Amino acid sequence: MPDWNEAIRERLRRLNLDGAREAEIVEELAQHLGDRYAEMIAGGAAEDQALRSVREELEGSDLLEGLRNARQAAATEPLGLGATGGAGALGGIGHDLKVALRTIRVSPAFSLTVVLMLALGVAGTTAIFSVFNGLFLRPLPFPNSDRLVDLNEAAPKWNLTQVSVSNPDYSAWTKGNSTFDGMAFFKGDGANLSDSTGLVRRIQTAQVTHELLDVLGLKPALGRNFLPEEDRPGGAKVILLGYDLWRSLFHGDPNVSGRIVKLDEQPYTVIGVLPREAVLPPDAEAWLPLAADPNKGGQYYLDGIGRLKRGVSIDQGKADLMRVHKGMIQSVKAYVNTLTFPTVMPLRNRYLGDFRTVTHILLGAVGVVLLIACVNIAGLMMVRGEARSREIAIRAAVGASRGRIVRQLMTESLVLAGLGGATGVLLGKAFLAGMVSVMPDDVPHWIGFGWDGRFALFAILVTGAAAMLFGLAPALQAAAVDAGSCLQEASRSSMSRSRHRILSGLVICEIALACVLLVCSGLLIQAFRKVLHVDPGFRPDHMMTWRLELPDSKYPKAEQQLAAYSDLIARLKTLPGATAVSAASLIPLAGGHEGNFFIAEGAPPLRPNEQNPVVLTVAALPGYFETMGMTLLKGRWFTEQDQAAHAPQVVIVNETFARRFWPGQNPVGKRVRFDGETPWMQVAGLARDTKHYGLDAEMRPEVFLPFGVHPESGLTLVVRTPMDASGLVAPVRETIRQVDPGLAMFEVRTMTEWLDRSLWPRRAGSWLLGAFAVVAILLAVAGIYGVVSFSVSRRTREIGIRIALGARPGDVMLRVLAGGMVLVAIGLAVGLAVSMAIANVLKSMLFGVSGWDLATYGTVAALVVSVGALANSIPARRAASVDPMRALRFE
Amino acid sequence: MPHDGVDRDLKKGSGELLILSLLEARPRHGYEISKLIESRSNGAVSFRVASLYPLLYRLEARGLIQGRWVEKAGQRRRRYYRLTPAGKKVLAARRAGWEAFVDAIRRITGDEYA
Repeated sequence: MPDWNEAIRERLRRLNLDGAREAEIVEELAQHLGDRYAEMIAGGAAEDQALRSVREELEGSDLLEGLRNARQAAATEPLGLGATGGAGALGGIGHDLKVALRTIRVSPAFSLTVVLMLALGVAGTTAIFSVFNGLFLRPLPFPNSDRLVDLNEAAPKWNLTQVSVSNPDYSAWTKGNSTFDGMAFFKGDGANLSDSTGLVRRIQTAQVTHELLDVLGLKPALGRNFLPEEDRPGGAKVILLGYDLWRSLFHGDPNVSGRIVKLDEQPYTVIGVLPREAVLPPDAEAWLPLAADPNKGGQYYLDGIGRLKRGVSIDQGKADLMRVHKGMIQSVKAYVNTLTFPTVMPLRNRYLGDFRTVTHILLGAVGVVLLIACVNIAGLMMVRGEARSREIAIRAAVGASRGRIVRQLMTESLVLAGLGGATGVLLGKAFLAGMVSVMPDDVPHWIGFGWDGRFALFAILVTGAAAMLFGLAPALQAAAVDAGSCLQEASRSSMSRSRHRILSGLVICEIALACVLLVCSGLLIQAFRKVLHVDPGFRPDHMMTWRLELPDSKYPKAEQQLAAYSDLIARLKTLPGATAVSAASLIPLAGGHEGNFFIAEGAPPLRPNEQNPVVLTVAALPGYFETMGMTLLKGRWFTEQDQAAHAPQVVIVNETFARRFWPGQNPVGKRVRFDGETPWMQVAGLARDTKHYGLDAEMRPEVFLPFGVHPESGLTLVVRTPMDASGLVAPVRETIRQVDPGLAMFEVRTMTEWLDRSLWPRRAGSWLLGAFAVVAILLAVAGIYGVVSFSVSRRTREIGIRIALGARPGDVMLRVLAGGMVLVAIGLAVGLAVSMAIANVLKSMLFGVSGWDLATYGTVAALVVSVGALANSIPARRAASVDPMRALRFE
Repeated sequence: MPHDGVDRDLKKGSGELLILSLLEARPRHGYEISKLIESRSNGAVSFRVASLYPLLYRLEARGLIQGRWVEKAGQRRRRYYRLTPAGKKVLAARRAGWEAFVDAIRRITGDEYA
């Protein structure tokens, strides 16, 4: 009897089995071959024939390959799910975790894809949430800040929502209310601060009533608060330094109290240092007492902060103030109070209301991206669940309960979600840093976007919800699988119908969501481009601008101010590169506003309920219009003669003014005056509108006055140059120093910078949304590709049979393509329909672009169809190249 | 090689079912399994050592059958395979699977997008 052991061992050598296992296999196989040999000999076969025949049984690569496969099956399959064993719940979780980690390691490409997709979604969501959190959720840095409210006055009849508060009103409110623990009022200001070395810098100051620190619930970091007597007209000149100013000016010297600083050439005694949390009024670097005379009315100029009594609602506080406010009509004959109303609103709304819309839209958008990422991952998980259905069926077959299987799969999802979430949060931090770095500085600097408990909770919730979203469906699906059916040949060769339907549904959802984002961002970008093409009414290029304030103490008379500015401008004109120089009290796009009511001679009388519009009022020096590059439509610009205080008074009006008051008539030669008994002024010229409030904002009627007749303490200077505008800063600074070393230039910016800043929220909003939309469509395309590829690979046998039965590869390709494109088409249709509904919400931001803009919808449709076709064509081509013989053998 | 390619593929697909069926009645060793397959199919289907044993090990690794060395008086020890409870379930499913396979062929020749 021949010995087969050596021949078998020879063939097993390359498998590197362990000794005992190899010996067993050799023994078993040798026995078989021995039996076969003995049987053939017994059946009458010749020895050499029997030998050859038995040897043949071992031939070919089958043995090696088969054993290798068997070994792999053993390595990947027994994941121990069947064990419902005696280990407690915790032990079970530990086991689940171990298995989950092993599963994740076994398919690194899959795991990496899931983690990255989720990271992308989480990164966007957490970054935008950080902004939202910082702006709208995080409490202000004051004790019981929920009881702090903004106090203001509205004049509905004049269509004004915030007119500020007057002296008599603030005084009466403070004394007469019964719902507030305290109230304080302030006005923002600026001053030229000079230190002992004579160095001058411009600082932001706030003049505040002495109660402010108490109302905010703060104590001075050093020294003392203002005394009531310092807060009266003629009170001592004292100053509380802001924390940062104290650090930079006095290097944090603890003995700063009693030192003298000079503001606008006036000495002020330092009485203390504000705590770091004293971040209101916004941007104030030092506080001075307001020292207002409560009996001096007329001017509305104060902002207010109140601290409501515990348990008092905003509405109750408002009603209380209304009672006091309206009571003044009778008690002190304050008839103006029939027109004005106190307003009370949460502090935050006052300062951050503008950012709300953009932030909400972005938060919605990143939510959608995250949703798509989850849907995509759910699809991937289901696809893998399909591939793993045998494994799961075996687990079920060997006794794992459905709950057990769901738990195992959910553990896997949670682990993946945890990894994705952590990566996403880190990525989000980088993304946030990028976003903050391009934010304009009008976001109050007391707003922080750092991480806090709320953020941590949000990140955990988002990640957990994501895990639920993409983990539960496939897990339940897997558990619902009939233990037997998955092991059937037939059901494996063409995907189970219900599962395919769910996957198709997911793909449709993804495409629809991506479409909505694409349409919304498309509309916003369209609107942004339209805004960019708006003619600002002047030439913003090659212009340098900065602001100067002449202190009243040194320049008390209008003539002195006019002389100082004229001297400065004359010197600046001699600077090389300065082709034109002038100044005005306000320049367009820089955020300033001064409004007045005007009477226009011969204008049609106001209709009932019609309001006299607020007119933007700007004082300008000669040459301002020419320097700005504005367009004169009729009449003339200001001349030097107009600036003389006793010259015949003239104004220049803009188109909106002319249209509003003298529709269809030539305004030049007509007369206007301020509301009240002031002299008439003749209209000398008609200027084309300049977009003062932003390229996308409506322009108000505007009146320009000669600065010499209507002086202002502060002016913005403008210089036009053919060179790089920012190159002028140094020579300009030197020229100002020559004129008066006590003057500081501030808000130094080129006109293009002002323009960019004014466009920032729109630019950032539309491009961020665009970026999210691109991520969304990429994720959705990956989703289509995945599902269709999977479907093709599962149907290889079916496709092979089709081809064997005579289907042409082209037909097969078209069939697969059509199947995928049906999903794309449905998703597109749903997405476009939803977009049409949502576009209405965006209306306020669309700047006249129709919410149903055909070009946008068309572009989105074309884009989605082409990327969809691209994603489908790859698996379709693969299907067409299926070799029927291979396909039939395929398992 | 006694059989052509298509037979081989068919065998590969159905081999598991054949083995599980044969083990349903009682535990058997490898040689017995191969003899039974050959004789019951009148020689139309046969497994060589190189394909039979990998299949057995694979089924064992998946927990559908279990092999055990058994010594009987006066004989060499032999490895007997028996069906596990999981194997029983799978066998039942596989049998039902033939039905579904026929159905699938009908679906393929009929015109449908799955």
